[in-house]
Amino acid sequence: MVMVTKVPPRPARRPHRAHGALRVLLASGVAATSLVVAPGTARAEDDKAGGTTLTVAVSQSIDSLSPFLAQKLTSTSIHRLAYEYLTNYDPKDARTIPGLATEWKPSPDKLTWTYTIRGDSYWSDGTQATAEDAAWTFTKMMTDPNAATANGSFTANFEKVTAPDPQTLVIKLKKPQATMTALDVPIVPKHVWEKVGDFSKFNNDRQFPVVGNGPFVITDYKVDQYVKLKPNRKFWRGAPKFDELVFKYYKDGDAAVAALQKGEVSFVPNLTPAQADALKTQKNIKVNDAPGRRFFALATNPGARSRDGRTFGNGHKALLDPAVRKALFLAVDRTTLVDKVFQGHAVEGEGYIPPRFGSYFWKPDGDQVRRYDPEEAAKVLDAAGYRKNGEGKRVGKDGRPLDFRILCHATDPNDKAVGKYLQEWWGELGIGLKVECLDSVSDPWTKGDYDLAFDGWSVNPDPDYVLSIHTCGALPATPKDSGATDNFICDKEFDGLYAQQAVEYDTAKRADLVKRMQSRLYDTGYMNVMAYPNALEAYRTDQIASITTMPEAAGNLWGQDGYWSWWSAVPAAPGSGGSGSGGSSTGVIAGIGAVVVVAVGLGVVLGLRRRSTADDRE
Amino acid sequence: MTSSTTSATPAPEPLEPPPAVPGSVRKPLSAASLARQRRKASAVRFWKQYRTHRAGLYGLAGLVLIALLALAAPLLVGADVQSVTAAPGTALESPSTEFPLGTDQFGRSLLGLLIWGARISLLVGLLAAALSVAIGTLVGIVAGHYGGWFSTVVMRITDWFLVMPALVLAIVLATVMSRSMWTVVLAIGVTSWPTTARLVRAQTIAVESRPYIERATALGGGHRHVMTRHVLPNVMPLVLAQTTLGISTAILTEATLAFLGLGDPTVVSWGGMLQDAREAGAVSSGHWWYLAPPGIAIALVALAFTLCGRAVESVLNPKLGVGR
Repeated sequence: MVMVTKVPPRPARRPHRAHGALRVLLASGVAATSLVVAPGTARAEDDKAGGTTLTVAVSQSIDSLSPFLAQKLTSTSIHRLAYEYLTNYDPKDARTIPGLATEWKPSPDKLTWTYTIRGDSYWSDGTQATAEDAAWTFTKMMTDPNAATANGSFTANFEKVTAPDPQTLVIKLKKPQATMTALDVPIVPKHVWEKVGDFSKFNNDRQFPVVGNGPFVITDYKVDQYVKLKPNRKFWRGAPKFDELVFKYYKDGDAAVAALQKGEVSFVPNLTPAQADALKTQKNIKVNDAPGRRFFALATNPGARSRDGRTFGNGHKALLDPAVRKALFLAVDRTTLVDKVFQGHAVEGEGYIPPRFGSYFWKPDGDQVRRYDPEEAAKVLDAAGYRKNGEGKRVGKDGRPLDFRILCHATDPNDKAVGKYLQEWWGELGIGLKVECLDSVSDPWTKGDYDLAFDGWSVNPDPDYVLSIHTCGALPATPKDSGATDNFICDKEFDGLYAQQAVEYDTAKRADLVKRMQSRLYDTGYMNVMAYPNALEAYRTDQIASITTMPEAAGNLWGQDGYWSWWSAVPAAPGSGGSGSGGSSTGVIAGIGAVVVVAVGLGVVLGLRRRSTADDRE
Repeated sequence: MTSSTTSATPAPEPLEPPPAVPGSVRKPLSAASLARQRRKASAVRFWKQYRTHRAGLYGLAGLVLIALLALAAPLLVGADVQSVTAAPGTALESPSTEFPLGTDQFGRSLLGLLIWGARISLLVGLLAAALSVAIGTLVGIVAGHYGGWFSTVVMRITDWFLVMPALVLAIVLATVMSRSMWTVVLAIGVTSWPTTARLVRAQTIAVESRPYIERATALGGGHRHVMTRHVLPNVMPLVLAQTTLGISTAILTEATLAFLGLGDPTVVSWGGMLQDAREAGAVSSGHWWYLAPPGIAIALVALAFTLCGRAVESVLNPKLGVGR
């Protein structure tokens, strides 16, 4: 699970651009056709609906529509829209604000939390949402391991959850828990879900509309084609303004951008710098370039092990030496990566938590910081006994050369690009690097069969989850299991601090503990944050008049902690702005041109071959 | 068929002694020098006939030019051209005098990359075609020679590979194996051999029905002797033509696999350049100069190999007639 790193907002994994061979076929062939064919059909659909439709281009597949199983970013974002959580985050500054609960109060010993559930939240089938639904949801997650797949970390410490009356929810804890006002768990209607048998198999995608109490109701879903939602007119915070919200699949980024240029979709996330630059100059399109909530890191295998003390995997032994890890990172020029790979659409990496979360943000200073200094890196390696041999390769005392592998996501252009830079920087140090790009990295990752890996997670306003994945407790139980661990890190000092912050209710003290944890993590050299990539996204201003970013000043729209963007989006008045742009056509023409060139080449070859067989027949 | 007369290798039929040149050395020529002479003569004859195919000459000229460019790439552009840390330009520049074809997203010169990429594209094409033809020849000769149920089984396997969409199979292979140039070579080679196998088997059966094979067997030639000394030389012309034609297919497949992101991301190839262009969003942002040159280069090389292959085929197989 989790491991798949490269991503994920809390439980949600980062949108992978696509999947394997299939995508590839889609990307090549289908993309080309969709450019041409799709606009007409889309418009026809709009006419039929008669209302305003907000179409969002997505690429990541839905893992499950069941809130108990969903972990990917697309799925969890949709659950944010369809179900209320106990609390929500303010779009301005991400502080906790009321959701399904209007207020909450801990007991003096902080072990009993009492939530008041609002009386004006209704399920889309008309029944009122009560504390009983919330109690049932949490109790189910505590008693059925299959229901704890996605969000089990929140309820692991719960002792008992009760609903003494429809407006009161009482949660009893075994130990204090700092995340009690940040329980990111969708509350489901008991009267619908108690009929479900096996939670590990139920994907909530058979009966539409799906009963929920969020701002939108899921009305239709076709795997890798679309997810359709209608506004919940009775939503307590006020109904959304659009008449329909559609998440439409584009497995190819360029196809999604072309659709945006044609006005077929209203919003496209995850742009490349070139796409963003080209879109910036176009009429009726606004590009949103906001600090992201993700970090992009270089993880080193600390020697994969399980809780029963056994080690496994084939990570390079030299990486167990702190000097090697230090030297590797000393030879990474983060400024160049931000300038060249992200072309300025990222912030240079420092601590573990992105600067956007100001109260928890930490950065190394003084002697602790590992600045780009290849000469220092060489000295560190020399001092540690890794000297260059005749061929200029560094060799350990055991005679084994420093030849590392790095796991990269084949679907992520940034991984490959950074891999190229690392190869050259480390090559000069005398360290070999093999970039192993896979469509799915989770297999070697869970087996511990890697030396280094590109890693990245989206961070929530409450950092508990992204910190918990580096504790010993998150290690797999046995080498055969998979744990919540990200990178098999198990460090006593880090764990001690984690336990302290988990029970610390004083925000300032907790922030201080979280910073010390980051400092410790930085010193171990297991997680080296290279950059915090920006959210690069674009929307059509002639379809969306206004939309709320999070945080309100310079925030992102896709993958927010909350439903703010789509809930707040206001449709543009009809006739505002012109029709689809013409500027895009050059790009499309160029693309088609390239396809034609290859096709002609193929045609010539095939033609000649056909002729040859024709001759044979003569 | 025709092969025994045009073959560049020792012909199986007993040859008449070479016409003695009056006044020349008395000493009978050794077998080796006889063979050398004969080879030289047949090479000259081959070239004379090849010259009559104008399209073949164009193809050959194109190939020689591209091969020279690829071989001279270290001198022309240098290995530094693929270096991202020493890239001279900024990201995605338009064509200029400094960068005639513009730059890629790392600021590297696209013209340099195009020349450098020719090395991998040609190398993979050649190796993959050679591997494919080698497998095909082996399977074809063995199946044709032994015959019987063995042949049936082998040919059914061949048929299975033949009806299997080669690209899909190659994608599967390239996905499950680690990303490297050799994986691509293997994936293409392993999927494209069945046509050669069928052709070679037919030729093997034709050759083996001739009386001299019977004579060879009667004189004590074993399976191995017959296959390597008599059958193989006779199927060589067919194999040669098949290889030349196979290279263009292999280059196209290599480009396709690299474009689909299944090649080695750390080496520069034409298909890889197209994939990089797609990942950088060059299509939607209108950077046509990133996409067009590698595409045109692939088409040209594939065309050149096909033209050569066709010419070689018609020289070696007179049944295909002249005048084309």
